[in-house]
Amino acid sequence: MLRDKFVILVICITYRGDMELIFGLFAGLASGSVFALLGAGLVIAYRGSGVINFAHGSVAAYAAFTWDELRDMPGETGIGNEGGSIYLPWFDPIPEWGFLKALHINNLPVEIHIMTDPPAWLAMIITLAMSAFIGLLMHFLVFRPLRNSPMLAKVVGSVGIMLYLQAVALLNFGGSNRADDGFWVFNSTSEPIENFLGMDDKNLPRSTPYLALAAILIGALAWALYRYTRFGLATRAADENEKGATLLGYSPQFLAGLNWVISSVLAGLAGVIFLHKTMPNQLNLYVVSALAAALVGGLTSIPGAIVGGLGLGAFASMGVSATSYSWWPEWLPVDGVRAFAPVLVVILVLYFRGHKLPIRGTVGLGRQPRAPATKHPMIGVGVGVFIALLMSNIFISKWESTLTMTLVAILAMLSLVVLLGFLGQISLVQWTLAGVSSFVLIRLASDGLKVRPMDFFVVWGPGLPDPLAALGGVVAAVILGLLIGIPALRIRGVQLAVVTLAAIVAIEDLVMRNRPLMGTAAHTMNPTPKPEWFGQYVGALDEQSNQTDYWKYTVFSIIVVALAGIFVVNLRRGVIGRRFLAIRSNERAAAAAGVNVARTKMLGFGVSSFLAGLAGMLIAYKMPMVTSEFFSPFVGLAMIAFVYLGGITTVWGAVLGGMLVGGGLFSEFGGLHFEGITQAYINAVGGIGLIANAILTSGEGISLTLTNQAKALIATMRGTTPKTDEQEELVVAEEANV
Amino acid sequence: MSKLLETNGLTVTFGGLNANDNVDIGIEKGSFVGLIGPNGAGKTTFIDAITGFVPTSAGSVVFDGHDLSDLKPHQRAQLGLVRTFQSLELFEDLSVKDNLLVAAHQTTWYTLALDVFRIQQKSEEIEERIDWALEVAGLKGLEEELPTDLPHGQRKLVGVARALAAQPNLVLLDEPAAGLDTAESNALGGHLRGLLDHDVTVFLIDHDMGLVLSVCDFIYVMDFGKIIASGTPEEIRSNSEVIAAYLGEEAGEVQARSAEELRGMSDTAGE
Repeated sequence: MLRDKFVILVICITYRGDMELIFGLFAGLASGSVFALLGAGLVIAYRGSGVINFAHGSVAAYAAFTWDELRDMPGETGIGNEGGSIYLPWFDPIPEWGFLKALHINNLPVEIHIMTDPPAWLAMIITLAMSAFIGLLMHFLVFRPLRNSPMLAKVVGSVGIMLYLQAVALLNFGGSNRADDGFWVFNSTSEPIENFLGMDDKNLPRSTPYLALAAILIGALAWALYRYTRFGLATRAADENEKGATLLGYSPQFLAGLNWVISSVLAGLAGVIFLHKTMPNQLNLYVVSALAAALVGGLTSIPGAIVGGLGLGAFASMGVSATSYSWWPEWLPVDGVRAFAPVLVVILVLYFRGHKLPIRGTVGLGRQPRAPATKHPMIGVGVGVFIALLMSNIFISKWESTLTMTLVAILAMLSLVVLLGFLGQISLVQWTLAGVSSFVLIRLASDGLKVRPMDFFVVWGPGLPDPLAALGGVVAAVILGLLIGIPALRIRGVQLAVVTLAAIVAIEDLVMRNRPLMGTAAHTMNPTPKPEWFGQYVGALDEQSNQTDYWKYTVFSIIVVALAGIFVVNLRRGVIGRRFLAIRSNERAAAAAGVNVARTKMLGFGVSSFLAGLAGMLIAYKMPMVTSEFFSPFVGLAMIAFVYLGGITTVWGAVLGGMLVGGGLFSEFGGLHFEGITQAYINAVGGIGLIANAILTSGEGISLTLTNQAKALIATMRGTTPKTDEQEELVVAEEANV
Repeated sequence: MSKLLETNGLTVTFGGLNANDNVDIGIEKGSFVGLIGPNGAGKTTFIDAITGFVPTSAGSVVFDGHDLSDLKPHQRAQLGLVRTFQSLELFEDLSVKDNLLVAAHQTTWYTLALDVFRIQQKSEEIEERIDWALEVAGLKGLEEELPTDLPHGQRKLVGVARALAAQPNLVLLDEPAAGLDTAESNALGGHLRGLLDHDVTVFLIDHDMGLVLSVCDFIYVMDFGKIIASGTPEEIRSNSEVIAAYLGEEAGEVQARSAEELRGMSDTAGE
């Protein structure tokens, strides 16, 4: 009865409206429910420990994989698994390759067989226990040690977990997509609700209303837990005032741990009940929509996050429905609309309520990593260029490709050094801007003719000659970078990281994969042009044979990267660099000292995006074609992970990071000796390294740590250890005695 | 003589509370003016309002002939209206000298290009000004230290030196002597007097009645957001309202303390 009345009500309201949109609204509640549950989990973790957990979607993904693996029937998928096993969230650190096999070292257990074909309730318990376990690991290994670190370290810590979990899932469960039928009412094979709202041709999946109901119910339970129990009261108290809660006898860290468990269990639950609708891998990036939902709840309200999530799902789905109308502009693709909805919500909430969002009262944050100026960059750059040239003469094509990939990564990381290291703006989007530059360059340079015989697609375009097309690409990256910088004038720290993460997804779907904007090939394989700069061919493929021929391209890349390196060193040593660091340190004080904070920040975004744009240009010249996968969010996050590991505040950190990152020189050399080292291993190790660096060196990275140790060593060898105050006092006292 | 800084009916409202209520003051060029008042009187809010860190709800601020209403904090600083902060607010990971250099340099749209091509921007004049600022604050020899490695009193002085490095016409000092011992405080007072010889006008806010009464030419007294008295140090010393405000505060503090003690006792009794 009630349901009928409700339906009639809705129909009455929208009597003249369009049923297509209304159906979109209801259909969107399905994805909305998973946003809501994930958003509620984010709120809980934030209140418990003051961390916005970018890895929240990845926890859900790991749980989804665990569930699917447990319920896999023997022999069904046939990738060597029997089903009924769980995989602990780590990988075997001692691989059984080559000589290591002979050593017979007892390895870390990863796979544990539970039973073949467990019942759904048991699988659910095991899966949620796994989520809880991951939550505990996150608390004890990452966020507890980082509790007094600066915001960048916390963001980097959670990004590290995201990278790590995604890579470990790839190692343990394989890269193939899973399609789970689901269970109970959350089942994709059950009969759909036909003639929904009296629309003949519309069938709503039967699980959709149950999903929405589950989200509301679980949200209400969680809300009641925090509202009415002593534990909830203590958590809220610690959220308001950590010191005060300690004085009242609550341990904030114990509360934080418990909240991490609850948050992760909610993530696991969301992953499992939504698994019949999506693939586990896609859950990683659902964190963007979940963040939007959590922001609607002001990062503190669970009901707010639930409403925000359901609303966002409905809103995005209505937008998708709207694309089927004839009046919808062709240049706004469906995926773009879906991806842009959370960005819109994030930006609106942060812009209008950003200053009202709670900054959790922690007991004082540690110092930012030092950013010493390089004194003699020419020597370093000279040595670097010499070594690179030497290598390019020795190497054959595969290694030359690795060398140039390293150079590209160094350039992309230099852009991160400027923006994250110097200016302290946590932007995760710079690698995507490199992609935009690449795509725009290709679009501007192409002329509708086949570039190479092997191309499947041709791209129409104005056919600009090359330095001009490259300039266009770089300018596009700078403009987009400045646009993304605008919110940074109002919001800071972790909130900017949220906006930029959302922007990554939106730009990928809205710009790079936009067919009308980027040409037919934008979705698949985008053929790159043959670049000539002032009569000199600078591409990485031979002009006639289309075989790899790196000589000129390598020299070109070395020149570009060396110039960029000098540029960044001089920037740091100059007036602007000092102002960047001043803003990183204290914006109020910078304004009081006469620094135009807004303009200086925009300058930083512009400079950084310029460097990212140059990296995009090098990529377009290197490959026969580019795809948007090459610029996927996880590659960008890996870039941040490795430059942070190398040293986010120095040019040498970028150089080191470029060599360590997957595809760089060090990791490829590693792969030479240990066959089977894949991108996944490298990313997993990168994630661990990232977290370790944040905890152990307060984010200064390998390069600064090594420099310090080298200086100390030289000082010891010369015997000029500076006397400590204590020693001096002793000396003075002795002299006085004499 | 023309006024360097003038506020007319300046009012700052937080919610329903008037933190500054219709404040009129005038500071003459080349003078040393003080502002005193008990805790919570609205002194820091007043500095924040003048320098553009909190929005005003009524009234105007005129500095050196410019109406400041539409100017942002950095624009006011560039006009020569420079402040220090009570709560330090230093660039903690820049050396003392770099702290000063941030304030000392002016930038233009092509500064980035100058930086990148290493075109010298360090003029004699800037070097001298920084030397002088370090001298006044008594920080000579600590140029390369990080502020976090200095004791609290000296960190305060880094803030003062940074304000001086910005080439101010008027420097607003928000409790520079808090955390200094008496000797340091006296030495600072002497140095600050010396600023007048360098065409710097000083507006000093402090708790330390002794310091304010000994160095200022003219003093304003603020309580509950209003100016309750103004005059020369002698006049202020004998002003009955001022004495009441300060005595009242002390009496209030005593009351608050005893109330807290009572509450503590009842709490333990309750458990």
